[in-house]
Amino acid sequence: MPIRDRVATLLAELPDSPQYPTQGATVFVDLERREIRQAFTPLPVVRALLGGRGANMFYLYRLLDESLEPLHPDVPLIFGSGVLTGLAPSAARGNATSWSPESGVLMDCNAGDYFPSFMKMSGIDHLVLFGRSPGWTLLHIHDGAIAFRDAAPYVGLDNIDLRERVEADFDGRWTRDLAMAAIARAGEQLVLTSAIMAGPKACYARGGPGAKLGSLGVKAIVLQGQTRDFETVYPYKAYNRTIAQKLLDTAVVKHALKVRGTPFLYKPSRILGAMGTKNNQETTWTDRLDAEHIDPYRPGMAGCFRCPVNCRPLNELGPDAPDRYGRGDGPEYVTLGKFGPNIGVDRIESVIRLNNICNDLGFDTASTGSAIAWAMELYQRGIVTTRETGGLELVWGDAALVERLLFMTSRREGFGNVIADGTRAVERGHYPPEALRYRMAVKGLMQSDPHDARILKAFALGLAVSTRGMDHLRNRVTLEINARINDDPAFKARLYGGPVSGEPNSYVDKERAVRACENTFGVGDAVGMCRFTTKLFNSPSLPGYEEFAAQIANVTGLRFEPSDLDEVGLNIMGVERLINHRLGVGRKDDTLPERWFEEPIQVGAYKGEKIDRREFDAMLSRFYALSRLNEEGVPEVAWRRQLVAMLERKPQASP
Amino acid sequence: MITVRLPPSLAIDGRDTLDVADDVRSIAALIDAIDRRVPGFRALFDEGGCNFAVNEELVLHRVRDRALRPGDTVEIVPAIAGGAARLARVSPD
Repeated sequence: MPIRDRVATLLAELPDSPQYPTQGATVFVDLERREIRQAFTPLPVVRALLGGRGANMFYLYRLLDESLEPLHPDVPLIFGSGVLTGLAPSAARGNATSWSPESGVLMDCNAGDYFPSFMKMSGIDHLVLFGRSPGWTLLHIHDGAIAFRDAAPYVGLDNIDLRERVEADFDGRWTRDLAMAAIARAGEQLVLTSAIMAGPKACYARGGPGAKLGSLGVKAIVLQGQTRDFETVYPYKAYNRTIAQKLLDTAVVKHALKVRGTPFLYKPSRILGAMGTKNNQETTWTDRLDAEHIDPYRPGMAGCFRCPVNCRPLNELGPDAPDRYGRGDGPEYVTLGKFGPNIGVDRIESVIRLNNICNDLGFDTASTGSAIAWAMELYQRGIVTTRETGGLELVWGDAALVERLLFMTSRREGFGNVIADGTRAVERGHYPPEALRYRMAVKGLMQSDPHDARILKAFALGLAVSTRGMDHLRNRVTLEINARINDDPAFKARLYGGPVSGEPNSYVDKERAVRACENTFGVGDAVGMCRFTTKLFNSPSLPGYEEFAAQIANVTGLRFEPSDLDEVGLNIMGVERLINHRLGVGRKDDTLPERWFEEPIQVGAYKGEKIDRREFDAMLSRFYALSRLNEEGVPEVAWRRQLVAMLERKPQASP
Repeated sequence: MITVRLPPSLAIDGRDTLDVADDVRSIAALIDAIDRRVPGFRALFDEGGCNFAVNEELVLHRVRDRALRPGDTVEIVPAIAGGAARLARVSPD
C-alpha cells in the first residue's frame, strides 16, 4: 500500500483533538505534494507506549512498507518529543525513527539541545515526513505554522556556516527563539554514517538519519517562536524543583558530569582494561587522554534546554589554532574513545580537533570513527592496500590522515566513498567478505561507545539485544562498574527486581539487570529524559518511574503506577522487535562481533576474559524468557496479539 | 606506606596525592584512614560515588576486602555510576 494510503487510513482512525491538555499534534508532511495534515496520538497508544520514542514506534509500525528500501521516500522519517520534553528539568530529548539505511534494521536515535523542546512548544509532539521534495527544502515552523522554504541557498553548507546563515536569515537567536535539525554535506551526499545535527554538537546520530533526511530532500527543519510555559492539569513547577534537586544532589552529577562531562568515563574503562583500542584488537590506551588533560582546553560547560546539569564541555585549543576547528563543543566520551584509542590517536589536541570537524561535517562520531578503525585494521592486515585507498596509508594514529579522510567522506570522494558506506562496505563491494570478521558491529550498526564488553557480561548482553544495533544507550547496566553496589546484594536485588551476581564477569542473572535497564531507559526516552540523568544509567538515585509517574500525572492528568511504566518500557521493546521481525531480524542477530567470542583480553585484572558462546546463548535464552519473547526474540503469541491489537487500533485489547 | 591519588574534587590544599602511613592492610582500613583526612569521604564511598584502582587495576567486586601492601598506589576514581544517596539506608550492611 503506498504511503499516502497508509497515512490516510491512519488519519481516519486518529483523534482530531488533544487527548490531554499538553498533548501536541502529530503532523504529517507530504514533502512531494507539500501537503500537511494533523491528528493526535490516541489515548490507548499513549497508555501503552507514552510519547517520544514510544509513540514513534506506533507510527513507524503503521506506516512502514518493508518491501521498499530504507531511503525510499515512502519510508517515513518520524521525529517525536517525549511527554515531559520541555516541561521537566533534564527532559530535553526527542527521538528520530525510521528504517535505518546504515544498519538495515530499526533506526531510532535520540538528541537533546533545543530542537525537541521547541518542537513541543510549537504544539507538535510528532512530525512525520514522507515523499521526496521536488527541490531542496527548508521546513520553517513559526509559532506552529509550517512553511516550505527553498533551501537552495543553504545546500553545500556544513553545520557551522549553516547555523550562522540561518540565524541571520531568520532574524532569530539560538537558544532564545530558534532551534534547528539539519544536515550538513554528509547528509546531502547520503553518507550512511551521517547525523541530523540538532545543535553545534548535539545530533540524532545513530543509523544514518542524516542520509534519510537528505533522501527526502530536506536540508533543515527550523523551529521559531518564543519559549512558553504549558497549561497543565495540575501545577508542575514545584515538583520540577524536586526533580532538579534530585539531579544536583547525585554524586556522579556533582563530582563528574557537571565538572568534566562524559569524558570522565575514559579513565575507568582504561584502567579496567576495557577501552576499545585499534578496532578492539587491544583494550587499554594512554592516560594522556584522561579527562583532566582536557581541562586546559575547556573554557566552560553548556547544556540543553532548561537542564540544570550542563554536562556539555566546550573546547578551545587556544589562539594558535589555525582555523575554525580550534574551538567547538565536546568531545563527549564516545568521540574521545572513537577518535582516540580506537584509531590509535594519543594526543588530546588531535581528538578535540577531529571532534570539531565531525560536528561541522555532520557525522555520527561513533559510526564514522568505527568505520575508519575498521579500515585501518584491514590495512594493517593487508586486506586493503594503497591500491584500494587511492594511495592513502591508513596507519594507526595519523590524525592528519583521518582529518583528510573525514572531508573526503563527507563528499564521498575517493576512499571517503568507502568510509561513507559504513558497515555496508562489504555488501557494496568495497571490501572482500573476510573483512566482516573484523567489523565491530551488531545488526549492521557499529558499536556506539568505546567500552570493550568482553569483561562485563551484562554490557555484552545489552549490546547484543539492543533493538537498533550495537548501542550502549538502550540498556547498559552501567552500575556494574560500581564496587559499592556490586558488594551489596540486597540493594542490587532491589534495583533490578531480583538477584544479580555481584561479579562483573559472571553471566549469572545478568539478563535481569539488562531487562530492568531496557525498560527504564525506554520509558525515559518516551518522556524525553536524558539518559545520563535517568535512574540506573548513572546512578540508582536519579529520577525514575516514581518521578516520571508523578510528573506525568501533574502534566497530563494520566495516572500511571511505577509498575505500569515498567510495562510501557517492555511494550516499547516489544513493538521495536515486531518492526525488526518484519525486517528479517531474529535470534541470529542478537549476537556479538566474532572477535569477542574468539580473542581474549590481553591486559589487566581480567586478562584472558572473552565471551563464552554457550554461556552467552543460555543468558540470551533467559533474557528472552524474562522479556516475554519466544526463542526467536519476538514477542510471544499472546502478548503479540495484544500489542498488534493496540497498534492496529482494534478495540478488544490493550497490552 | 600507601600512596593515594585523589580526584580534583577531593584534593587537599590543592594536592592530589595523599600518603597514608597508618597500618593499612585493606581497602576497608584505607577508607577509614582517608576519611580521617578527607571528611565526607566515607559518605561518598557509601553513596557509591567512587571506585578504587590498586596499582592501576580497577577493583569492581569485594572491594573492602581487597588486600593492600606497603608501597601500593591506590587511585580514587569517580564512579561511572555513582550517587546512591539512599544506598546506606536500604542496605542491611
